[in-house]
Amino acid sequence: MIRVRLTAQLRDYAHGAREVELDSASNLRTMVNKLERYYPGIGGRIVDDQGNIRAHVNVFVNSENSRELKNENTPLRDGDVVHILPSVAGG
Amino acid sequence: MTSDSKRKEWKVSGPHLKGNEIYHMVYDRRNGAILASTTSGHWGPTVAISEDMGKTWKESKTPPKFPKSSGLSVARVWHIKPASEDEPGVVYAGVEPACLFKSKDGGRSWKVNVSMMKQKTRKKWQAGGGGLCLHTILQHPRRPNRMHIAISSVGTMRTDDGGESWRFQNRNVLAEFQPNKYPEYGQCVHKLATNPSKPDVIFHQNHCGVYRSDNAGEDWIDIRNNLPSRFGFPIAVDANEPGRAYVAPLEGDFSRIPPSGHFAIWGTDNSGKEWFKLDEGLPSMSYYTVLRDGMVADQEDPCGLYFGTTTGQLYASRDQGNSWQNLSDWLPPVFSVSVSST
Repeated sequence: MIRVRLTAQLRDYAHGAREVELDSASNLRTMVNKLERYYPGIGGRIVDDQGNIRAHVNVFVNSENSRELKNENTPLRDGDVVHILPSVAGG
Repeated sequence: MTSDSKRKEWKVSGPHLKGNEIYHMVYDRRNGAILASTTSGHWGPTVAISEDMGKTWKESKTPPKFPKSSGLSVARVWHIKPASEDEPGVVYAGVEPACLFKSKDGGRSWKVNVSMMKQKTRKKWQAGGGGLCLHTILQHPRRPNRMHIAISSVGTMRTDDGGESWRFQNRNVLAEFQPNKYPEYGQCVHKLATNPSKPDVIFHQNHCGVYRSDNAGEDWIDIRNNLPSRFGFPIAVDANEPGRAYVAPLEGDFSRIPPSGHFAIWGTDNSGKEWFKLDEGLPSMSYYTVLRDGMVADQEDPCGLYFGTTTGQLYASRDQGNSWQNLSDWLPPVFSVSVSST
C-alpha cells in the first residue's frame, strides 16, 4: 500500500481527500499514472506533458525529495508515504 | 467588469481564478460561456470554462497537451479563439511553445494541430523575450478553412485547408535583428487584427514596424509613417470603420517606455497613411505599457476601445478613442483585455 498525501490545491481532484491510497506503484511515474486513472485531471498538475515532475512541485518519498533521488523514476515500496507539495517560489 | 449598453458605469466582480496568471479570456457568444487561459506557477496550464458569467469555473477535462512523442510540453495557453457561428463547439487555442490546438466541445478537450507541431522549420524557431508563443488566431468569417496565426518571433502563417498545411506570410516584413533583414520567417509579429467586414485587410503591429496587408497576408505594406515609434504590442481595428486602427507606441525594443514619457493611443482613419494622437483623459506624464492582448475594440457603434496596463490601470473609451475614462487604478498587471456584449 502506498499512501499519497495531497496538498490543498490537489484535493478537489480526489473529492476532497487529504490522503489517498494506492495498492501499489513501482515508482513515482507509475504512481502518477494511477492517480490520473482514479482522479482524472490530477496527473497533469503534478507532471508536464513529458511526464516530468513540474518545476515548482516537490514530491517527497518518506521525507526525501525525489529530486535528490531518481525524480520520476524514484522507486516505491509497500508502506511508503508520498507527499506532493508546492515548492516555495518567489518572495 | 460589466455595464449596461451605455458603457459608462461599470460593476466589478471577483477576483476569479485566484492565484493563476490569466493570459487571455474570451466570451463565446455562441453559448454564453467564458473561456480563460489559466497558468498556475506550480500546477501548470489549463483552460477554465464558466457558464455563469464567472460565478463558477470548471477546468478542461483534457487540457491542451502535446503527445509524449513530440518532446514538447505546454507551458501556457496564450490565446483562445471561438470559431464561427457555423461551427458550434469549435474553439482554437494558441500555446507556448508555439502550436495550435483545437477543441470541438467548447474547450473541454483539445487536440494538437499536427501539421504545425511537425512544421519542418520548427527546430529553428527562436523564442522572443516573452516566450515562443502563438498569440494571435484570426479566422476568416466566411471561409472557415482560412486562418492566420502569429508567433513571436517566427512570423505570420496562414492555412487555407483548415490547418492541414501552413505557409509563412512575412513578405516585406523587416527583421532587423537577423543578418538577412527580410527572411522567409523569424520576424517578431506582436499582434494582428482585422475588421470582419474586410477580413483580407490585416493590420499588423511588429517588433520592427507597423504594417497592413490588403491581400490576406500575401504582402505587407509599411504604414508606420508619422507614428512616434515603430515599436509597440497591441493593435486593434475599429468595428465600424475598417480603415481605422489603433496602436500603443513604445520607444523601442531596448527602451519599452512611451515616447517622451507620455503614453497615448494613436489612431489612423485612412488605413495607416497618417496617424493622430488620442490622449484626451490620459495623464500628461505616464510610463504605461500595454501588452499585446491588453487593448481591444468592442463591436458597438460608436466603437469602444479598452486598454489595461502592466501597472494595473484600465481605461475605456466610448467614442473611438477620442476621450478616455479611467475605470481602475488598482488592478495587478493586466495581461489581457477582452470585451463583448451579451
